[in-house]
Amino acid sequence: MLAYTLFAGILFGLYFSLVGLGLNLVFGVMRIVNLAHGDFLMLGAYLAFWLYTLSEVNPVAVIPLAFALFVLIGLPLYYILVPRLLAANDPEMLSIILFFGLSQVIEALAGIVFGRSERSIPGGELGRALAGFVNLFPGAKMESGPVEIFGQTFPAAWVVAGLASLLAVLCLYVYLYRTRLGALTRAVMADREEALSTGIDTHRVSAIAFAIGIALAAIGGVFAPFMLGSITPAMGVEATVTSFAVIVIGSLGNPLGTVLGGIVYGVSYMLMQSYLSSWANLLPYLLLIAILLVRPSGLLGRQVRLA
Amino acid sequence: MRPEPVPTPATRLEATGIEAGYGSLRVLWGVDLQVGKGETIVLLGANGAGKTTFLKALLGLVRVTSGTIRFDGENLTRMRTDQRVRRGLAFMSEIAVFQALSIEENIRIGAQTLDVRRARARADELYAIFPVLKEKRRAAASSLSGGQRKMLGIAKALAADPQLLIMDEPSAGLSPLFVREVVKTLSDLRTHGLSLLIAEQNVSFLDIADRVFVLEGGRIGFAGLVSDLRRNDALARAYFGLK
Repeated sequence: MLAYTLFAGILFGLYFSLVGLGLNLVFGVMRIVNLAHGDFLMLGAYLAFWLYTLSEVNPVAVIPLAFALFVLIGLPLYYILVPRLLAANDPEMLSIILFFGLSQVIEALAGIVFGRSERSIPGGELGRALAGFVNLFPGAKMESGPVEIFGQTFPAAWVVAGLASLLAVLCLYVYLYRTRLGALTRAVMADREEALSTGIDTHRVSAIAFAIGIALAAIGGVFAPFMLGSITPAMGVEATVTSFAVIVIGSLGNPLGTVLGGIVYGVSYMLMQSYLSSWANLLPYLLLIAILLVRPSGLLGRQVRLA
Repeated sequence: MRPEPVPTPATRLEATGIEAGYGSLRVLWGVDLQVGKGETIVLLGANGAGKTTFLKALLGLVRVTSGTIRFDGENLTRMRTDQRVRRGLAFMSEIAVFQALSIEENIRIGAQTLDVRRARARADELYAIFPVLKEKRRAAASSLSGGQRKMLGIAKALAADPQLLIMDEPSAGLSPLFVREVVKTLSDLRTHGLSLLIAEQNVSFLDIADRVFVLEGGRIGFAGLVSDLRRNDALARAYFGLK
């Protein structure tokens, strides 16, 4: 039971890393809090739901589309909202108010357009995608259904979500540490004014980071029906709180610290679900309070917050 | 040894009537300053005189409310900072480097306006000037000593191969030994035709100055040759204890 819980916690933890990753990237680069983060996740979930419902598109195939679409939404949204915010005296506080407003607008519009009923996608779809992928290799024969790992059986959706999240983290790592634009992004994270005076077009770098941030949220949304339960326009608020807990636990402002925060959160979540299920919904708030009281700079500390 | 002043070099940077500040607080009151091609200018002034604000105004980091900034004849006054850097201005702040990034990354970021091949060649040139940086190029900038960090700051600022290097208190936080090392490095760089504008309180930098400007309460109180400054009893006593 404990081994199952811990392993499931790691799979969920990887997924929660993906959920918080974009929020932390945006905070790290711009020092603003995107309280509408969870609403972009919700929109990603609806994108997957409608594509599946209308055209039976497998959610895994929606991932590249969600990424491209939300990058295209994120770039103009950045230039509309953020440069004025960054010119203010206290952008961090102002961003909380502004993005809270945006979150309310997105939720209300989603309610009007999609309705308030709960939506879901059959869990077997991700299992089919996993089996289809594995069977591409010569000699491989996998049935779609639960996946056995180290003698424990897990829903295929959890495994696919965990693997996709891991891949997203790796892609972000490659972007930040192996590309020219990534180095510029880390320079802006380290010291925005120094970056500006070095001649970096900080708005261009920030706009790309902002767009990637909400695109990662949308990818998280594609897996939300399998990991967070049914889809509703109101699910964004809870997703934002969860994301916030994950990044505060890891290290606020350090995107890769999100992975540690996600795994700690995921394992705690599964332990609570297994042994104290009625308390599980309190987890993000309890962890937030605990980490802020005991170690406000997150588990990885201040040293790694900057880049 | 102070080199002979350059007679009348062609103007590289010309700031005329610069007024700037923060919100309703005006810091600069009509500052005029010129830097010639290959010339080294030292801008002296006490804390709060407006040196950093003036340099930031030149770079576009502080908004100029009145006045004009021309660089090689082109009006930069309303241009973005990254566009000014692309035209050949470089700035070394007091912080100078990205401490969380490696030495190699700092130099690569400094050269971000160049194409990849030219940036690599430029990095090799800079490693030849600063061999200690080459040895430690994969280390974090935060692992360097104060003096080495300034050297990295200079290398990072020079990475884009600028025509004018603007420096904000390069002696800040350095022991006299390291200040001499920085002065010597800058002296060597002058031979490459680079123009330098150095805001300082430390008079050691006068050794390499062609001309000196003194900023007092946001206004230019003196502009001329270092020898003239030394002859001005009031200024020499009031600011630098030269007499």
